[in-house]
Amino acid sequence: MTESTISKSYKRNEDPRLLTGNGNYIDDIEIPGMLHVAIKRSDYAHAKINKIDTEEAKKMPGVVAVYTAEDLGDYWRPGPLQVPPPTVIKGSIFHARPLECIAKNKIRFSGEPVAVVVAESRYIAEDALDYIYLDIEPLEYVGDLEKSLDPGAPLIHEDLESNLSADVRQEVGSWEKAVAEADLVVKKRIVTKHVAGGAIENRGIVIQWDDSFKVLNVWATTQGPVPMRNSIAKYLGLMENQVRVMNPDIGGGFGPKIMSSQIDDVVIPWIAMKLKKPIKWVEDRRENFLGTTSERDQVHYAEIALKKDGTILGVKDEFYHNTGAYNPYGMTVPLNTQTHVISNYNIPNYFTRIIMVFTNQMVVTPVRGAGRSHGIFVMERLLDAAAKELGMDPIEIRRKNILPPESMPFRTGVIGQDFVESVLDSGDYPGALEKTLEAIEYEKFKKEIQPKLRAEGKHKGIGVIMFTEGTAVGPYEGAKVMVGVTGKVNVVCAYSNQGQGHYTTFAQVAANQLGVDIKDIEVVIGDTGQWQWGVGAFASRGMTLVGTAIHNAAVKVREKALNLASKILETPKEELELADGVVRIADLPEKFISLGELAMRANPTRGTVEEGMEPGLEAASYYGPPHGATGYGCLGLILDVDPETAKVKIERLVIADDCGTNINPMIVDGQIHGGLQMGIGEAFYENLVYDDYGQLVTASFMDYLFPQATDMPAKFEIKHIVTPSPLNPLGIKGIGEAGAICVPACFMQALEDAFEGMDLDITDSFMSPGKLYHYVQKAKGA
Amino acid sequence: MTQKVKVAITVNGTLYEREVEPRLLLSDFIRHDLGLKGTHVGCEHGLCGSCTVLIDGLSSRSCTLFAVMVDGSDIKTVESLGTMEKMHPIQEAFQEKHALQCGFCTPGFLMTTVEFLEGNPNPTAEEAREAIDGNFCRCTGYENIVEAVQLAAKKMAAD
Amino acid sequence: MKIEGTHVFNGPREDVWDMFYDPNVLASALPGAQKMEMVKEDEYKFDMNVRVGPVSGAFTGEMQLENVVKPDSLTLKGGGKGAPGFLNGIGNVKFKEQEDNTTLMEYEGEVNIGGALASVGQRMIDSVAKSMIRTGFETLDKALAARLAAKETGAEAVEFKAPTEAQFAKEVAKDMVKMENWSAETKLVLYIVPVIAVIILLAFILKSCGA
Repeated sequence: MTESTISKSYKRNEDPRLLTGNGNYIDDIEIPGMLHVAIKRSDYAHAKINKIDTEEAKKMPGVVAVYTAEDLGDYWRPGPLQVPPPTVIKGSIFHARPLECIAKNKIRFSGEPVAVVVAESRYIAEDALDYIYLDIEPLEYVGDLEKSLDPGAPLIHEDLESNLSADVRQEVGSWEKAVAEADLVVKKRIVTKHVAGGAIENRGIVIQWDDSFKVLNVWATTQGPVPMRNSIAKYLGLMENQVRVMNPDIGGGFGPKIMSSQIDDVVIPWIAMKLKKPIKWVEDRRENFLGTTSERDQVHYAEIALKKDGTILGVKDEFYHNTGAYNPYGMTVPLNTQTHVISNYNIPNYFTRIIMVFTNQMVVTPVRGAGRSHGIFVMERLLDAAAKELGMDPIEIRRKNILPPESMPFRTGVIGQDFVESVLDSGDYPGALEKTLEAIEYEKFKKEIQPKLRAEGKHKGIGVIMFTEGTAVGPYEGAKVMVGVTGKVNVVCAYSNQGQGHYTTFAQVAANQLGVDIKDIEVVIGDTGQWQWGVGAFASRGMTLVGTAIHNAAVKVREKALNLASKILETPKEELELADGVVRIADLPEKFISLGELAMRANPTRGTVEEGMEPGLEAASYYGPPHGATGYGCLGLILDVDPETAKVKIERLVIADDCGTNINPMIVDGQIHGGLQMGIGEAFYENLVYDDYGQLVTASFMDYLFPQATDMPAKFEIKHIVTPSPLNPLGIKGIGEAGAICVPACFMQALEDAFEGMDLDITDSFMSPGKLYHYVQKAKGA
Repeated sequence: MTQKVKVAITVNGTLYEREVEPRLLLSDFIRHDLGLKGTHVGCEHGLCGSCTVLIDGLSSRSCTLFAVMVDGSDIKTVESLGTMEKMHPIQEAFQEKHALQCGFCTPGFLMTTVEFLEGNPNPTAEEAREAIDGNFCRCTGYENIVEAVQLAAKKMAAD
Repeated sequence: MKIEGTHVFNGPREDVWDMFYDPNVLASALPGAQKMEMVKEDEYKFDMNVRVGPVSGAFTGEMQLENVVKPDSLTLKGGGKGAPGFLNGIGNVKFKEQEDNTTLMEYEGEVNIGGALASVGQRMIDSVAKSMIRTGFETLDKALAARLAAKETGAEAVEFKAPTEAQFAKEVAKDMVKMENWSAETKLVLYIVPVIAVIILLAFILKSCGA
């Protein structure tokens, strides 16, 4: 066996292509005769539609067709429910209201599509939007999560009794018992804010109906090609193999691109079939802000019950979750919140309740972090508040309650987004905490540095918090590994890649079994024409699930190659080795057969075969874990705050993280960096704001502050801990969301520390410079 | 239809004479009229920097310019750098430092870096960070890009 | 959004009210106004160009006057829409006689805007609104002075020159620069005075003249 290809920082296979302008993104696809789509969106947040007049737009030169919900006739229907209701949780209520991908009779959020223009060019299509006239009756806007359930609140879905979208309660132990035994109960109202996915590439779709072969080719920026393929097939009455969904290169995903059942994949395919012409739609930035999905809007009423010595007896968390105007993505986000509130600590009694409400805002679906950061924020803020009440150091209260390594695997008793009990599979949580404290020199900062700075009137604060990252959830993924007649290897799956480096890491996993250069492994991702089954890129599950499937398939291919070579070389299998693209006799290296030759021989064209023989040097495999693998870590921040301008400089950022085996450590670090950037954005820069009438007033990068290079610390200091997950043969856990989960809680703790004595009492996950200034002034009593 | 206007624009050393609508964006001209797809459009309002190209040597946002405004100019896009087989030192540095993930914003960063290193062939990390501050990247957290810019400077000095 | 404010006109209340009922005054005092016409008594239609930062386009709208108590007070209701979005508003205006022969105008109202105007133009609205109010009132002050002068001399023609759109744009730019130096209170006031609110309010006030 040659050297292992696992845990090595290979340069990425995909980079030369992407660096030289040879990437192929959705807007790069050109098909002769292609038409272009622009979407008319509602300016109103809540309104009754009387009439949509498209006559003038239709008459414009270059406009091919204009469609409203009316024009769709019998085809019009709400999109599919992408994630089913949580029936596994007893007593849960869920009112499914999937997206109406083009509004009929009623508008439920500003930015909701009301008409589609198809034209010879994008310019003409956009011109025509101005000549579509809406006759509507505005209705009262519902935007406040808590008031949305008031008895008199206007109904967003009139067939429901209220704007309640779901109500899910879970309890482990007894919160009442915890309160009865507690010396102290601390209560907080905690708010998490609305942020965007913010991929630099917007969404898009290209559809080509091949009328002679009756095949629909779809190129889409989707994070879930197979579910999209299935829903398109179902809506159009086609078989799965008549719809081929392909991912081009995708310019970032971060969650919102998982969302299908929108106008692009429900309505545009129907139009393409009707017109028998290829059609392209690429979203613009304002549409992305208005109409694509976003996340993080919750209001928590949280309580923690403790003993005098800081031991946690229980936690209660009832929270409102904003799902927007529809709930096509089910309960994924708030269920993640429920499982992540209890995160790293021993909490014997836990009551949690989701009150999910409809509002006249864009639909809420996962954004990197997806409910987890809210849970972590609530728990860590509660601990900080409790520590303050008890006069304890924030680190001490964490040390007191943290789960020890011997408690692993730890069953939380709470059902998660994957509809199975959340289990913390492995790890050394105290180790992560101590490693971070040591690296950031917590004691020294607190005891030596900070007192001096305070004496000089400077405001520097330190924060250290723990987090878990539920990753790699089921149900399953699959892949096929094939050795070609050239000796090169092909790995195919229908996952989706938005920059995670799968072209390299998947190749590393296959190469590890097949003894070929990773550059000789071609990875195909996201093509339902080449691989038919899978779920999609979410919950940091690609490397673990697809990677394990590839590993398992490659092991089979290796066996096949060795068995065949054993026959050809007339040598027992045990005496053979597979390396450098050949199978050779270990003691007689000059006697070998190449993998390419074996591949050729694996498809015999004359003679007979043994019963059960499977041709080709290929194998497919599926992998589904019993439950997700849980990453975890600890974040430390030192913030330097200028009290006059409220400018915050991140002086140090130390993160200890355990994502099990690092297939490619360079790529793992890259994932952590990117996540941290989003976390910093969430804490201090990014916020989607609706005004009192449901208008999104942050629908451009002029108002939605995107974190830039100088907003970052000079260095992300990463400390790795590697506890291989016991759930899969390579020991992998996910890593995509770690950084995005942990920053706000730590940021607020550090800000409070920077102004110790002023009691800032921050309960909001978003703190802009303007708000911080206000907090400081208020705390000063100014 | 609007009357078309004749333009003569040199892109990556080739002179293109075309008739364009006055409202045609330079980014669309480059991408769709000339088929140079390496220049990407991320925001259409001049903020994200994915569409950055060099116009007569100066980095510019091609999404907020009309093609007619650069009539007679010399434009360089990412395609003017290296090829997949033989990359430019800046491209090599981006690969070695893992300074790209999805790659969508990358051409803009590369063109910004080309201009920056011409003026500052040996930048500090702080200067490199400042130089790329106007380009948005959602994947990398920028640290590896800063390092790549510095590594590129070293590579170019060695060449 | 709520808007409110006051302005002192240097003239008697009857003259101020009359001025407001002169249809020529409105269109000139309102930058971008293209056309105003009476549909029926106390009901008008207007066309205007709106430009707020990167968002611009033609608006058509209508408004009604209610509770007209000459020369004391009135209520304005209405809205408009166009490619850049929509606006709706309601406002109350009072004219109060003051001892020094001037007239105090008090206005308060509520306006909402939507579409690109809100989602993209929002950040520019404060400065544009401020300029609109200021130039609008400046124009009216001049118009009133001209009218009073004409009244004194008995002349028929009332001479006064309204600002052009270009002049207005220049004023907006100036105000945006100045904004940096304004006091916190001024800024706070501006944050609750969106441009469109003012456009409508001014339009309504001025238009009340038509009858």
